[in-house]
Amino acid sequence: MGTELCRSCGSCGFPMRNPDDFAGGDPDAAYCSTCADASGALRPFDVVLQANAEYLVREQGIDLRAARSMANALLASMPAWQERR
Amino acid sequence: MALPGPLPTQRTRQREATRRRLIEAGLRVVADGGFAGASTAAIARATGKAHGTVFVHFPTRDALVAELVAEVGRTMSAQLAAAASGEPSLGAVLEAHLAALAAHEAVYARVLAEASTLPQAARAQVLALQSGIAFRLRAAWSRERARGAVRDLDPVALGNMWIALTNHYLMNRDLFAPGGSVITKCGAALATQFLDLVRT
Repeated sequence: MGTELCRSCGSCGFPMRNPDDFAGGDPDAAYCSTCADASGALRPFDVVLQANAEYLVREQGIDLRAARSMANALLASMPAWQERR
Repeated sequence: MALPGPLPTQRTRQREATRRRLIEAGLRVVADGGFAGASTAAIARATGKAHGTVFVHFPTRDALVAELVAEVGRTMSAQLAAAASGEPSLGAVLEAHLAALAAHEAVYARVLAEASTLPQAARAQVLALQSGIAFRLRAAWSRERARGAVRDLDPVALGNMWIALTNHYLMNRDLFAPGGSVITKCGAALATQFLDLVRT
C-alpha cells in the first residue's frame, strides 16, 4: 500500500489519487472529475457549489442550506476561486 | 506533458520558506495552547520574526487560522487517500484514519474543541475532511455489504458514528490518555469495537 501523498483538487481540495479522481482521467489535470469537465475545464461556480454541498449532505446528512454555506466557505479558500473573493 | 515553469527566484524561495515557518510555528502554538492562545504576536514570536511579518503573508488572523486548519486538513486527507487507496476493507479505512489522526492529534483535538469559534472557512475544512472519511467508509461498507459481511445500515449513520466516536475521544484526550496520545492508547480498541458493531 503506497503512502506517498497525492495532489488535491485546486477547486475543492479533494485528494486525487486514482485516474478517475482526475478530470477526464488525466493525472496532470488540476481539478477533480466533479469540479471540471472531461476536457479539464472548470465547471461554473454554481454547479461546483451545488455538487460540493450535495456531497456534504450525502456523506454527513447535514442540512442542505448549511452545506451550501460551508461549501461556499470552502471553495472561497481554494486557488481556483480566488478571483471571486 | 506540461512544460516546467520558470525556476523560483531566491526571493520567492525565501518568501515561501517564511510562510512555511509561520504555518509550522502556528501549528505548534495551537497544539500547545489552542487557537485562543494563538495570537499573531505569539506566532511571530515563535518564529523569531517581527509581528508585521505575519501580515505580509496573511492579511488577517482569520486568514492565518483558516490556513492552519487547511494545512492539517490537506495533509490528513492526503494521508488517508494514500493509506486507503485501491479497494480497502472497512478495517483498513479505520486504520488509515487513525494513523492520520495520530499524526496530527494535538492540533486536530484543538480544532474539534474550538470549532464553533473558528472562521467559517476553517470549519468548512473540518467538514470536508470528515466527509472524505465518511465517503471512504461508505465505499468500503458497500463492498463488504455485497459479500454479506456487514449489517444493512444507513451509511450516513455509519460515517457519523465513527466520526462521533473518534471525536469524543480526541476532545477528552486529557481524560482518556493524560499526557499521551489517546489514539495510540485507545485507537485499535475503538476500531475493533466499531467493526464488531457493524459486522454480521
